[in-house]
Amino acid sequence: MPDQVTLTIDDVKVTVPAGTLVVDAAKAAGIDIPVFCSHPKLDPLGACRMCLVEFVGSRGSRLDTACTVRVAEGMAVRTNTEQVKAVREANLGFILINHPLDCPICDKGGECPLQDQTMAYGPGVSQFVEPKRHKNKRYPISDLILLDQERCILCWRCIRYLEEWEDKPQLGLFERGGETMIDTFPGQPVDAKTSGSIIDICPVGALTNRVARFRYRPWELKKTPSVCNHCPVGCNLRLDERVHALRRIVARENMAVNDEWICDKGRFVHQFVDHPERLKKPLVRDAQRGTLREATWDEALDRVVEKLGALVEANGPNTVGGIASPRVSNEAAYLFQKFFRALVGTNNVDFAGGSAVRAWPTGLSAITDIARSDLIVLVGFDPSEAAPLLAVHIKRVVLRKGAKLLIIHPRRIELAKYPGAYLPVLPGNEAALLGELAAAVQASKGVRGQEARGKQAARNPQSPGPGPQYPDVVALLAAAKSPLFIYGPDVARGERGRATVAALLNLATALGQGDKLAYIGAGANEQGVRDMGLLPDTLPGYAPVSDAAVRERLGKLWGLQPPAEAGQTCARMIGGGVKGLFVMGDNLAALPAVAEALRKLDFLVVQDLFLTETAQLADVVLPACSFAEADGTYTNLERRVQRGPQGIRAVGESKADWAILTALAEKWLAAEGRGDRSGVAPAAAPELPDWKRKKRKAKTGPAAKPWNYPTAQSVLEEIGKAVPFYATMRWEALGEGGLQWSARDLRVGVRDSGLSNTQSPTSNPRPGEFLLVSSPLFWDASLFMQYAADQVRQLIPAPFVALNPADLATAKLAEGSQMTLTSPHGSVILTLKADASVQPGTVWIPATLPGLPAETLGGGRGEPISVVVR
Amino acid sequence: MANVSTVFREIGAVVQAMGVTLRALLAGPLTVQYPEQPIAVYPRFRARHELRRYENGLERCIGCMLCEAACPTGAIHVEAAENDPAHPVSPGERYAKVYEVNLMRCVFCGDCETACPVEAIVLGHDFELAVYDRDGFLLTKEQLLNPKVPNVVVRAE
Repeated sequence: MPDQVTLTIDDVKVTVPAGTLVVDAAKAAGIDIPVFCSHPKLDPLGACRMCLVEFVGSRGSRLDTACTVRVAEGMAVRTNTEQVKAVREANLGFILINHPLDCPICDKGGECPLQDQTMAYGPGVSQFVEPKRHKNKRYPISDLILLDQERCILCWRCIRYLEEWEDKPQLGLFERGGETMIDTFPGQPVDAKTSGSIIDICPVGALTNRVARFRYRPWELKKTPSVCNHCPVGCNLRLDERVHALRRIVARENMAVNDEWICDKGRFVHQFVDHPERLKKPLVRDAQRGTLREATWDEALDRVVEKLGALVEANGPNTVGGIASPRVSNEAAYLFQKFFRALVGTNNVDFAGGSAVRAWPTGLSAITDIARSDLIVLVGFDPSEAAPLLAVHIKRVVLRKGAKLLIIHPRRIELAKYPGAYLPVLPGNEAALLGELAAAVQASKGVRGQEARGKQAARNPQSPGPGPQYPDVVALLAAAKSPLFIYGPDVARGERGRATVAALLNLATALGQGDKLAYIGAGANEQGVRDMGLLPDTLPGYAPVSDAAVRERLGKLWGLQPPAEAGQTCARMIGGGVKGLFVMGDNLAALPAVAEALRKLDFLVVQDLFLTETAQLADVVLPACSFAEADGTYTNLERRVQRGPQGIRAVGESKADWAILTALAEKWLAAEGRGDRSGVAPAAAPELPDWKRKKRKAKTGPAAKPWNYPTAQSVLEEIGKAVPFYATMRWEALGEGGLQWSARDLRVGVRDSGLSNTQSPTSNPRPGEFLLVSSPLFWDASLFMQYAADQVRQLIPAPFVALNPADLATAKLAEGSQMTLTSPHGSVILTLKADASVQPGTVWIPATLPGLPAETLGGGRGEPISVVVR
Repeated sequence: MANVSTVFREIGAVVQAMGVTLRALLAGPLTVQYPEQPIAVYPRFRARHELRRYENGLERCIGCMLCEAACPTGAIHVEAAENDPAHPVSPGERYAKVYEVNLMRCVFCGDCETACPVEAIVLGHDFELAVYDRDGFLLTKEQLLNPKVPNVVVRAE
């Protein structure tokens, strides 16, 4: 078969690749063939008959559906004959027989293919006077999506999306003939994590978004291309705004990132942007009453400068520090660490889950590499819960290209049902298991045969991991030509995490695929925040703080050099390492133990959207903007820097993170002697004009350069100077698709890759004791979920603990009962659930449930925690 | 004798004109003592907007925002919401939670009436629109639903 096929459509000669559908070939030729059921991302079906065109052959012409017929050499197609026109009119007439004409109250009205095509190809008058058939309107197929069965034209797009992309056939056709309708299966609402995508692809208003329902009409929306702020995939979105309120979020196509799908969190969880409880004014703690009261920006920022400055002067710069959130933009992260490094003079900057996690700095080689890989190794990472779009991509390559999955996870995650292997591993045993796999792979490469496998099986008999699948797993790994190794933060924390990542790197290197190792973080901009050097031991661009050359380069850029000694980690700062703390966008105090520690601080500044538990403890609260209200760039897990422009007006007096930091730095510099760490504090007046200040600098040594950032774009420009591989990342250059920085630009110092501290394997817990597994859950109780719309908020589960049914039976525990769980770190009361995906000997308490039970018990610290259930 | 016929014609014209004057003299005054006496307006006269209800008391407006789209001056602002099936505001699923008309912008063109698919918004006969402050020109949904003279016009065409 030739690669290229030439055919004639309406006398236009088109050459397209063989196998192309006629409807796509026509699109390539600029000829419009109306379609309803056909969708470029879904398999051809031919259900709606709208695309009927004439195929002219030697025996006359025949009508056929352009969306199912593939091109052939010499094919002649006519799309504008009288017959085709008549058929289109008749077809639209048939579709409209039972389609209600409630366009005025239909959310799709104005962007509806059925409306548009009826206008373009329709008969203009109706021949039908009979009453229309009535079916269910306002019929919920899930908590988030409503189905209007009357409006449905049975194109199957939703059914096909759920089958072909989600592999969750949760919608089907029921009844026959005119009674045919789309419905869910009894008792099984649609729960696919990307179910909202079917709203976007529905060609009529049959599927509507319950959160955004009736809140907009398409023609009056201001549409801003943006990126999602929920997980590190960085899906491309469109923010739809009307009268200064964010009305809805829809997906935007970016074939390199999210195809044209987004997950339900990205689509439905956006009410935090214009929630009535958003902070609208700065708050300061009243000296007399001890409560927070509203203040002006000047007063609040002056208070921060005064109090932080006093702490620095009295106790030295290392007694203050900053903790940021991995959600903030690159600009905010860069200025945050610059504030502490250049102005305060300390390396005490970190983010929650930052330095504690051994992250591989280059992230995923590319999201599109998933589609090219034949084996995906997931270690302690559950894409279905943590990054649903990755799960969609992974399912696609498994279903369409026969890729295999090797899953090493303490829980039998959703993806474990696919071909490949699932190795259950007790938390903490990942390094040992990976080490054995690496050795086995090495051995099978060197001494092929039974010998090596026998040796491996003999080692570590009490380890629960390998089991009988072991030789298969080695064969799977050895046979892989283009594997991907993905791990998440759960297995990369602390000392054990170091060992796990080293073992994983060994395994990848043993297979000759060292560059295919990927870390996928938890925060939306974790990659970018790390790139910006928001870590106590790393400068912007991943240079260690001890690197004198980089410090000098940054010193030239900033005016002052960052200190050479590493700063304190997030845990140490909270644990009493500092007296003054600046928390940007993270609700650390949601955990009571941390709140207790924060109360001991002399001074706490919190910059956030809401009056969170942390903000309630603060001495100064600065109201920040959400991602939708401020310009910013975000770097996703494949190092793609993407623009997130301002889509709506900032709420109240809130300001963008970067703007607050700039204003703060200006005040800091204006305050007496502060811009200067040369030793002698000169008594300069704060209102010194620029030229005088420069003169003073020249005399007394280096001083911080003024912070002159009128826009977020100017911050990005400076980032380009500070971080070598961001040099090309200009706002205009990023465009709407973003730019990836090449992993080759970053010489990763594989400092401690080969060696790993051998960790004692976690032993099987004693009877009555269980090992805690706290992997993430999609619908959790994170801050944005708490401030989501009602329909979304009701999806937050009541706190629960899940055990293997066998364990429940042995311990004679009943499902649904309230149990007290105790660990060395704390004790919680939770409802018991049976879940076969939890392996025996472990309890699964998802991360970030209401009340943070898993975190209270000590989950997420990188150490195996044994829990007593009573 | 062309001159004679011209003279007669001119006289005739003067008489005719005087006739109009005399008729007006006899017809009595047209002045309406406006604030005391009401002014009759034509049936198609367009003045202050009203939102109509059905006979069962439900609001006609379904919050479709087509009036807002049709309005050439951007005088109308609508926010729609979903009806509570137990206590519906309007028939169907959707109603207008907010309906505001800014009379300072309105040019009384009647395009909103034309656009309305349910004959909910109509321009009534109340032309007494003077108020003491600017906020008074912003008609709320409450004001629109309760006009001084309820349901006066339903235009046939």
